[in-house]
Amino acid sequence: MKQNKDHSEEGTAHISSFRDHWSTLVTLLLLTIVTVVISVFGANLAALSVATALLIATVKVIVVAYYFMHLKYEKKIYTWLILLVVVLFAAFTILTALEYYNR
Amino acid sequence: MEHAHGLHLPNSGHNRDDEASKMGMWLFLFTELLLFGGLFIVYMVYRMLNHEAFLLSSFELNVWLGTINTVVLLVSSMTIAMSITAIQKGNSAQSIRLLMTTVGLSLLFLVIKYFEWSSKIHHGLFPGMDYYNNLPKGEALFFFLYFMMTGLHALHIIIGGILIGVVAYRTKKGEVTSKKYTLTENAGLYWHLVDLIWIYLFPLFYLIH
Repeated sequence: MKQNKDHSEEGTAHISSFRDHWSTLVTLLLLTIVTVVISVFGANLAALSVATALLIATVKVIVVAYYFMHLKYEKKIYTWLILLVVVLFAAFTILTALEYYNR
Repeated sequence: MEHAHGLHLPNSGHNRDDEASKMGMWLFLFTELLLFGGLFIVYMVYRMLNHEAFLLSSFELNVWLGTINTVVLLVSSMTIAMSITAIQKGNSAQSIRLLMTTVGLSLLFLVIKYFEWSSKIHHGLFPGMDYYNNLPKGEALFFFLYFMMTGLHALHIIIGGILIGVVAYRTKKGEVTSKKYTLTENAGLYWHLVDLIWIYLFPLFYLIH
């Protein structure tokens, strides 16, 4: 028996390597470059760039949450709770937008 | 059995629940998400009502300073994630160095933000200034939201920077170790949230032309 309650189930906590962290950063920087280039040099694709910018931002957020915030290695309950919050926020947003378009 | 002495009740501080601490942090982050979420909905509605004005105003912002700040925050997210790796491996000194790097990057972010805000304020774009008061309604709304949302975000950067400084101090005092590093993890979660919010603020204010 272990004497004290050590971190995350007695040493089963996943340790991400520095190399993993570098790869995550490079991915995020590439996505940033893509979104800036589209915005600055593709301004004539106005409607597209709004959707694209938000899509790329969402991909970046998922990468940060999954790797930096360690969701990949956490219990599934965290992912479910986050999805719940996302659905809640999406509901607020969609209801507000519907209200606007029906005026 | 040590417990038999009965001096220590089960939760007299000798037992920790790291999982519960982390869950508590996540629940707090959810309230933060909904706080900023509400502001994003306000932004969405005003943008739909003042499409042209928002478009015009967004050109006033400096895309390059915004991009540099995005890079600064992404790098700082990596350094704090690395400091968790370091403490997990028992390398306190390296963990402290990485935490202090993160604090340094948070200061760099604030300095760049300061120059950005100064130039906007110099042009009289801060709510309440004469130039601002004479702006068309849509443009005034854009700058109000810009100062409000980046300001609230900057406040989070300041709090996060202080928190990370405290973690570094407590690591130095030996209160954070390879067996007890929830504080570092929770500071990391908070810092990543601050980064996540900026990931949306950046395209919404600087990029959506």
